[in-house]
Amino acid sequence: MPSRQVTQLKSSALDHQRGTPLSDSLLPLQSRIAKLTWGERLDILDAWTLVLDGTYAHLPLKQALYGFDPIRAIEHLRQQVPTLSDIQFHRALTALINRLRDAHTQYSGPHTIQNAVATLPFLVETYGPFDKCHYVVSKISDKRLVGDLHFEPGVTLNWWNGVPFDRAVDLHADNETGGRPDARRARALESLTFRSLEFGPPPDEYWVDIGYTDLKKKDHELRLPWRVVLPNRAPTAGRGGAMRSRRAINPAAEAVRRAKKLLFNPALWQEEQRQVSSLRPSQGTGVAEHYKDFLTARTVSTRHGKFGYLRIWSFDVDSDTEFLEAAKELLDRLPDTGLIIDLRDNPGGFIWAAERMLQLFTPNQISPTKFALRSTPLTRAMASARFNDGELGPWKSSLESAPSTGEPYSTHLPITSVEQCNDLGQYYGGPVVAVVDANTYSSGDLFTAGIADNRIGPIVCIGEATGAGGANVWTSDDLSAAMKPAGLPLPTLAHSANFTIALRRAVRSGDADGVLIEDSGIPGQPYSMTKRDIFGENKDLIEHCAAMLASQPLTRMHVARERGALTITTAGLDYVDIFIDGHPASFPGKKLASDDVTHLQIAEYAGEVEVVGFAANEVKQRRRLPARA
Amino acid sequence: MTLVIRGRIVPMSKVDPAATFAGNVYLGDDGLIEAVTSGKSNPPAGFSNAPVVDVGNALVIPGIIDLHNHLGYNALPLWSEPKQKKPFLHHNDWTDAPSYKSSITWTSWVLAHAAPEALLAYVQTRALVGGTTAIQGWPAYNRPPQMVVRNIDAEKAGTNNPNLIYTSALTEKPLDLAQKAQRMAHGSGFIYHCAEGQLNSIVTREFADAANAGCLVKTFIGIHCSAIAASDWKRWQQAQAGALVWSPFSNLWLYGSTTDVPSAQARDVSICLGSDWGPSGTKHVLAEMKVAKLASKKLGYGLTDKNLVAMVTCNAGDVLSRCWHKPYGRLVQGGFGDVTVLRPHGTGDVWSQIVKATEADIMLTIVSGQPRYGDADAMTAAKAGPAGKLTIAGSTRKLAIPDPKDNTKAWRWADIVAQLDAVRKDPAGALKKEDAHRRAFAGPRTADEAPLELALDMPNGGALAFAGPPPDPAKVVIPPLPSLVHDKDFFDAIHGHGFHGGLLDGLARFYGS
Repeated sequence: MPSRQVTQLKSSALDHQRGTPLSDSLLPLQSRIAKLTWGERLDILDAWTLVLDGTYAHLPLKQALYGFDPIRAIEHLRQQVPTLSDIQFHRALTALINRLRDAHTQYSGPHTIQNAVATLPFLVETYGPFDKCHYVVSKISDKRLVGDLHFEPGVTLNWWNGVPFDRAVDLHADNETGGRPDARRARALESLTFRSLEFGPPPDEYWVDIGYTDLKKKDHELRLPWRVVLPNRAPTAGRGGAMRSRRAINPAAEAVRRAKKLLFNPALWQEEQRQVSSLRPSQGTGVAEHYKDFLTARTVSTRHGKFGYLRIWSFDVDSDTEFLEAAKELLDRLPDTGLIIDLRDNPGGFIWAAERMLQLFTPNQISPTKFALRSTPLTRAMASARFNDGELGPWKSSLESAPSTGEPYSTHLPITSVEQCNDLGQYYGGPVVAVVDANTYSSGDLFTAGIADNRIGPIVCIGEATGAGGANVWTSDDLSAAMKPAGLPLPTLAHSANFTIALRRAVRSGDADGVLIEDSGIPGQPYSMTKRDIFGENKDLIEHCAAMLASQPLTRMHVARERGALTITTAGLDYVDIFIDGHPASFPGKKLASDDVTHLQIAEYAGEVEVVGFAANEVKQRRRLPARA
Repeated sequence: MTLVIRGRIVPMSKVDPAATFAGNVYLGDDGLIEAVTSGKSNPPAGFSNAPVVDVGNALVIPGIIDLHNHLGYNALPLWSEPKQKKPFLHHNDWTDAPSYKSSITWTSWVLAHAAPEALLAYVQTRALVGGTTAIQGWPAYNRPPQMVVRNIDAEKAGTNNPNLIYTSALTEKPLDLAQKAQRMAHGSGFIYHCAEGQLNSIVTREFADAANAGCLVKTFIGIHCSAIAASDWKRWQQAQAGALVWSPFSNLWLYGSTTDVPSAQARDVSICLGSDWGPSGTKHVLAEMKVAKLASKKLGYGLTDKNLVAMVTCNAGDVLSRCWHKPYGRLVQGGFGDVTVLRPHGTGDVWSQIVKATEADIMLTIVSGQPRYGDADAMTAAKAGPAGKLTIAGSTRKLAIPDPKDNTKAWRWADIVAQLDAVRKDPAGALKKEDAHRRAFAGPRTADEAPLELALDMPNGGALAFAGPPPDPAKVVIPPLPSLVHDKDFFDAIHGHGFHGGLLDGLARFYGS
């Protein structure tokens, strides 16, 4: 009975999409918040003072950049503790922390609704240049949640609660993170109709009055209530284990991304929920299927030919190895003529997943980004504690020498080792272009930096640069677990209040070695979204990227191994070098005719085989074939 | 629970250190000794219905204390570097040995990460089998693991203070030593690996640093101190004399020499024993006493059997009592309720009987008043909690280690071994499985129900200070689990290896081999 199943699915998904009215969710929430004592509030402020002063990676830079001293501000808030209601206290602290403009460093007050997101049933997007952009509704979740037939994708937005729409966006942007104006606006647009209640305060209003112009140019007004939904995390999302302290993510944006999936792709969301009970790919299904919340791919036909299009939605996975397997599975299905890697709205995630992925697209050695802790007595004690040795041990010696040298930071070291970044080697041989925007954040920043600094390909950027989240973020729980063995315990936070904080700042490597990522991001070739992009599946953007790919020289190499025989199929290469177990197997390299198929004999017992393809004396292709089992 | 042990009591009391008598030790439900009585005196209040274990003429001694260990490494066999032809100079010499990482660092790291609970159960059982009731040198952990042997590093002694004693297995910088000195001035103890190596080697400076930083006080417990010459020992003022932990097996195995014990004794420094760790030590201090006897005879130290027994009981207990403020290492009222019961061994005096005792002679091991290991009938008489069976020296014994998944049940010895064997057979698979287990837990890492994480305490020999992960877990080869007793395999491994010049071969004689 497939048709009945579909009906049931839709009906059930609608229930999830509808959620509950914000007022119903907030009233019990507020009554619970009222239980925080003044002393418990002081504990929260003490904890923030301790971690900002003792661990916050960007403290001196934020103080210099924004002329704002959060520690003094907390001291000031401390004086007001007896005069504030609980909700006022949490809003004041949230606003204070948000002044750091750092999506990694966020306060999550007690009894927030875990995983909950307040939503309006539509998505706002813009097109056109930054100073003359148009605000339009790009998606609507379900017409039954709107109740206005004129309100549909394509309508132009004019008013938000009586405020001109562009001004309303700017006002909301003032409360958002993001160092640059374009980053703040991008973040504001992302959260204008989606507010993570776990990582921020709820909207002030319970409903929103929207003024819009419909597709027939007629003006309308519509009142929509905020509703609270629970989008859940993906079954393969990062939870703990090795990735726990190796994350670089905007957690609020990840929650919003999940809510968008629920509202605008409910069938996929619902199918995914059924996977929750089976945490690993079932027999017969590829690993890529299991990672489709994070990775999707298709072939795009353009005026310049057919190319691959790989969308990386998020790096917030729990297994970097499986994530890479999924990527390889998808790349196998794409043409090798060129690849568009789309990282827009990617909030980041597991650093290993992002940085290890880079090697798939280049024949050259990957240099990962590097991270440093601020040199303080607290970071020194943490790095010296035996329990933290595995995580912070490599930074220990430079932190210990810092008091003698006056160095304000530890040495910068990679979180993903050079060996990890190069353990698989190139997998995709065509040219690559990456597409990013100001919501490409954190591990998304790191991946983009890797594309630029390892000369993998050009970057197309909507906005000035990526979102500029240059740090490794830790939760208060992980920080607490690391501070305790250092003999400097974090005060216990009442009622599950928690936070995230940027612990290790990131700097770029390769050509931009040592350049900070926080607040500046990774710039690229500018591109303004068009109306056709928004309503035509990014058609102009893809054409733009396809032109860039088509202009790059194309080489190809495919290597197959059958017992003692290697078959190397090439195009555009002059010669190849063969290495067996790291030793040259031929010198000089094997000269090639154009579009050659070469057969070579190697010892049957040979271990790992590496084939390196050259064009005009530059390495263009490299394939590594593991030792035969 | 309350418990009465009736037998030949060897209390090691300060009043009459040589006394032994037929009597009773009353262990209260607070884990402390309620009373020690001779003859047939009436029991103290609350003990009329307490189970009584009558061990006849067996020796009831204070629980044996191992004041120097590295528990996380005790599932490994003896190690010797095949390419090393002369004794190592000092403790920084062997961490660069070609086989150190593959034999010790990576193997122990894999076991500690893939099966942390089972590893701790195994190494604690090894201690209990030797009558050990307290050990120093635990791995660091995210939350308290299942502990059935007293953890000297974390003992709170009835307070809320987890820092009654500080420890360090690695060399500390002078300013860190100064900080420790300050903490000792405020009542804490400090157990420090110090000047481990050949006499007058460069590590002697570690003792000089400790002295200059003001660490040589009554609560300073120096481990090894084997590089220190007689003249250096004079820096420790007799009025401030603390303790030395001697590990002769490990010293002789690695360096071919050992600590100048008489010079330490001349400064009134109290001598204790530690079995060190699996790769270069005995399996527990019951055997280390025998090695100390061999070394004393060979080096002319003149130590008596009574001296040796004191090293594993009251000497260690007295220095710990200075930090814990409760009697320890002696069977006296108000002291910690740790007791070891030994079968009489031979016809010599009580001290020689204790020194000669082997694993076969351990009748009962009691920690904090709780029977944890012993003869099946003794454990039954003691009304021990849920206990499983294991065979030691040909006899069936009972072991009371709770199953971490269900504290009301005993953890079967076969299951503990099976878990570790599974890691041995597939290290990479076991690590992956344990990592998945950790990922599945979303609560605080320090929560009681959080998956256990251990951090080992010995040097890594690389960028990390302490033992770190192998580059490729699939290539790690973990040797079979050693037996829990000193047996032919162990003695065979001693003979012709290490740098002891044959001295340690003599250990086999105590075991009739």
